[in-house]
Amino acid sequence: MEQFAPVKKKDGQPVRYLVVDDSVFARKNLARMIESFGGQLAGEAGDGCTAITEYDRTTPDIVLMDITMPQMEGIEAAERIVRTHPNARIVMVSSVGYQDNIVAALQRGARHFVQKPVKPEVLYEVIKYVMGEDAAVTTAAGAGS
Amino acid sequence: MSGPSDDRAAELRQLFFESAQELLQALNADALHLEQNPSDREIVRSIRRTVHTLKGDSAACGYRELSELAHEFEDVLALEVGPGSPTELAEVALAAADVFEAMLASYREGTSVKPADGLRERIQKLAQQPEATKSRGRKKRVARSLHFAWSEYEQLAIRNALQQGRTIYQVSVLIDPHCAMPVAGRQLVHNALAAAGEIFAIRPEPGASHNSSRTIEAALASELSVQQLQGKCHIPSIVAKVTVEALQPARSRGAKVAAAPSPAPPPELAMPAAACANEAPESGTTSESPPPAPTAGIPSMENILRVDAERIDNVLNLVGELIIGKSMLHQTVAEFSRRYPKEALRNRFSDAMAFQSRVLNDLQRAVMKIRMVPVEQLFRRFPRIVRDVARQCGKDVELVLSGQDTDLDKSILDCLAEPLTHVVRNAIGHGIESAEERVKAGKEPRGTITLDAYHQGNQVMVEVSDDGRGIDVEKVRAKAIASGLLTSAQCAELSETEILEFIFRPGFSTAEQVTEISGRGVGMDVVQSVLHRLKGSVTVESRSGQGTRFRLKLPLTLAIIKALMFTIENRLYAIPLNAVAEIARATEADVHQVDNHEVLQLRNQILPLVRLGHAPSGPDSLHRKFFLLVTTAGDKKLGLIVDGLAGEEELVIKALDDQVVATELVSGASILGDGRVVLILNLAAIVERVSRMRPQDAGAVVSGLLFSHSEYQARRSTPPGSTVVEP
Repeated sequence: MEQFAPVKKKDGQPVRYLVVDDSVFARKNLARMIESFGGQLAGEAGDGCTAITEYDRTTPDIVLMDITMPQMEGIEAAERIVRTHPNARIVMVSSVGYQDNIVAALQRGARHFVQKPVKPEVLYEVIKYVMGEDAAVTTAAGAGS
Repeated sequence: MSGPSDDRAAELRQLFFESAQELLQALNADALHLEQNPSDREIVRSIRRTVHTLKGDSAACGYRELSELAHEFEDVLALEVGPGSPTELAEVALAAADVFEAMLASYREGTSVKPADGLRERIQKLAQQPEATKSRGRKKRVARSLHFAWSEYEQLAIRNALQQGRTIYQVSVLIDPHCAMPVAGRQLVHNALAAAGEIFAIRPEPGASHNSSRTIEAALASELSVQQLQGKCHIPSIVAKVTVEALQPARSRGAKVAAAPSPAPPPELAMPAAACANEAPESGTTSESPPPAPTAGIPSMENILRVDAERIDNVLNLVGELIIGKSMLHQTVAEFSRRYPKEALRNRFSDAMAFQSRVLNDLQRAVMKIRMVPVEQLFRRFPRIVRDVARQCGKDVELVLSGQDTDLDKSILDCLAEPLTHVVRNAIGHGIESAEERVKAGKEPRGTITLDAYHQGNQVMVEVSDDGRGIDVEKVRAKAIASGLLTSAQCAELSETEILEFIFRPGFSTAEQVTEISGRGVGMDVVQSVLHRLKGSVTVESRSGQGTRFRLKLPLTLAIIKALMFTIENRLYAIPLNAVAEIARATEADVHQVDNHEVLQLRNQILPLVRLGHAPSGPDSLHRKFFLLVTTAGDKKLGLIVDGLAGEEELVIKALDDQVVATELVSGASILGDGRVVLILNLAAIVERVSRMRPQDAGAVVSGLLFSHSEYQARRSTPPGSTVVEP
């Protein structure tokens, strides 16, 4: 896989992710991309309920949230997380057909969205945008220091 | 965010039709106003607001043709240079109102919409005119004026913020054409903008999911710099292009712009230039006073609730039932008091009763009040009608409205629209003379039609008067004789007022030629029959050479009346109490016959009589006593002969369908507290019927109006039982 210039937080720590998707394959795929961005997988969840408890436990920097999941849908999970953690950065991950759901999620506090199938270069830009001033791209040389 | 369910959609559409009707009224009114004041740019803006709202609403309901047409029209109106000549614009606006209305009608009936190419062409022409006169690229101007076309309210907010020293940015964001989810993208941009500052205006509005526009325009106040804002808005994979402009406080640039379009309008010009011109004072500082609120003239909608009239009717019906219940209680308590005169409980009963009936009265009044709407709602359509009709007839007519705030029951008001229109059309078509004729007669060349409404006791009067030539009584007389309604001998005995009333007969028209305006076969008889149905009356007054006045008299409400009950041949009837002027006793010996009419001398007056039952026969019939109800219907006094009185009561009128009572003489029925049914007579119709009846046989009189002859025969052998009336 293509390697990206690592995105690190201001204190030099890697960005920590929570990946929520009911498909194990999708989770693994996203985890690999995260790794290639220099990020760290803080937790995984296969449904909305677990996502909420995992968020409370791990307090990640970014949540990648699938829309359609069993038990609790991504929108509701995102809404609940944002309610208790207003600064949570949630990126919705969904197929094209769910535009209305994404709009709803964005109205309820999700920060961004990416389309499935997720392209690493798109996700990379989205992560940078969502992290904003709290993170910066470190050059390969800088990463070692 | 699934689409609205069918029910909700239907409800929404209903709401749309109602509000669209109001918008069209406003459009008509504004266009007429513009015709009178061609230089007033504020009117053009008002028209644009109306069209804009119509566009948005119709698009939301999925009425594409209407919204597209409205959109085109709005574009043209947005041209700040002023599209075409204002009079032409007014013409097109009126035409547009008609086309919109036709479209609405098609949508409502579910028929296909006719293409409006004629109007489209006129709109386009309107747009091209300034181009022809000022050799400037029109396309560019259209584009610019559409760019950041904020509503006036938004402009006001922006101006206020600028005056407070805040930094306002105009942001335009183009969504990447490769983005598969533009709506979600727009939401994202909206979120980003909202996070960056306070949004004053944004297009398209968030949540407009049907709108697939890929550009977002917004005005927002923000502490961020232009670069920071650019960065915030440049959302990866979503946004292709961002332009951010800081807005400068508006200076008194407006006057210059309005006078002649500035060659290169500054990009930060937020509002259509004319809007600035409107408020920029000569001193050069920005105006302290805000421009006139766009809602001026429209009552504040905040506290207004739209309710289906049927629901109110339901409440009113229940109140009616309560009133029946009240009279039941009254009777029972009266009976109780009679039986137990010493019982202490009696007083407590009657106290409770008195309290209950007071509250009930208040409740009834309150419910009635809900149904009341100002006559304005009816009157406001007339400026347009008068203009159109006057134009078709080639006459110069001015319309004067007064008493618009008089309240009237909504259902009455709705029924009144058609007859009133007819009367007004007639007044212009027949009443008002041509300008030359008027000058010759020593009048102002411009004719005047006056619509007036006012309360009179428990009734509402609506008057239509013109200052035209008046109705030619001789012509009416001749026509009446020619149509066999009258013999010339009878004619000689009738007063002018009586002759004038012939115009209300079916098929009676004195118009020499049938025009499109009036005299289309339906005549004043339609007016009269509607008024009778409403338990009202119509009278006409005319002075040759000075004008005609039609007076439509209407009850305040149709639902509950105070009525006087009486019996005729053992049957119970009622008439509205306010029609009764006096009650007297008389004997058959007092009744005289004059020209096949029964009359009676009451004090110094000769009173025509109406015998609803049959004249008594037999040897002692002359000594029979009866009650005489002196009633006023229209301006006529009339004595009703009745057998007995049964008291007065508040009656809740229940409509009767045509299968039960096939006569216009009865306007409804009511149930009394003891379960008896009482028929409510339509006095106006009875008077009309009597005046039309002219028995051929000498010596015969009009009688037995409420009973057929055969029934009368049968009734002599069998006791009365049924309450069915067959005239």
